[in-house]
Amino acid sequence: MWDPKAGFGQRMDVGPRGQEAWFFCLRILGGRYAFEAALVTEVVRLGPLTRLPAAPPFLTGVFTHRGEVLPVLDVSQLVGQGSIPVRPSTRAAIVHCGPWKVAVVSEAVEGLITVPRRALEAPPAESSGVAEFLSGVAQDRLGAVAILDMPRLVEAARARAVPAGGAAA
Amino acid sequence: MSDPISEILLFQVGAHVFAAPVRDVVRIGTVRDSAAEELVLDTALGTPFSRQRCIVVASPGSERTLVVDQVVGFRTVGENDVQPLPAFAAACIHSGALAGLVVLDDIPTPFIDLPTLLREHAARRVTPQ
Repeated sequence: MWDPKAGFGQRMDVGPRGQEAWFFCLRILGGRYAFEAALVTEVVRLGPLTRLPAAPPFLTGVFTHRGEVLPVLDVSQLVGQGSIPVRPSTRAAIVHCGPWKVAVVSEAVEGLITVPRRALEAPPAESSGVAEFLSGVAQDRLGAVAILDMPRLVEAARARAVPAGGAAA
Repeated sequence: MSDPISEILLFQVGAHVFAAPVRDVVRIGTVRDSAAEELVLDTALGTPFSRQRCIVVASPGSERTLVVDQVVGFRTVGENDVQPLPAFAAACIHSGALAGLVVLDDIPTPFIDLPTLLREHAARRVTPQ
């Protein structure tokens, strides 16, 4: 697993110098993980979750929010790093990724952060665990932050839920 | 207010409550009323703790008996109370037994297609994964 406290590698080529990139930052897996801010529509406190039968472990359950039923995605479960316990204080970011709308559960919500584009660096070459879904790493005034490719992560979750051979479970 | 469209049965397996259309239920009974070989215990819904109550479901050519912990009761639900699964959940769950969600008192409750649940259970026993 990538360690947010570890040093960074090669600098990313992500656009002109001097511009800032906006990200939305969550605390998960004991570290700071951010993703494109425009994907987030709101942050909610999770109500009681309903577990769904035959659901993969990363699909923790569903809950209603303003009359809409939303699925809850646990990134920790997806990358095999345990699970985030859901308590009345637990918050989730509602994220739109293409056709999918999911609530990404977090240990804590940090909110919007800005990172100078020139400070973004390429992710480590590691391809296991959460590192597989990193698009970059950076350092801001609060420390190291890993940038998640959230659309790729959500799509990978969906793909991993397909049983081997594509047959119904 | 929406028009009532169907009666549902609410039942509990383990710690979880599920709903199913009453039309799929032949009768509700106790485990001792059924032959042991007809009882279905461990399905995608989980394994019941107490194994006392059961729901008899019509299956093609026979009846199957789903063992549950508790029959919670009946409700009449309106069209707006039954929702499809959210798109991401539907894409991740590959069981036809989960037919949707019934929102009761703002809580989504899995809406179970009982004949499909028992058919899938039987298929898994034939070809264990």
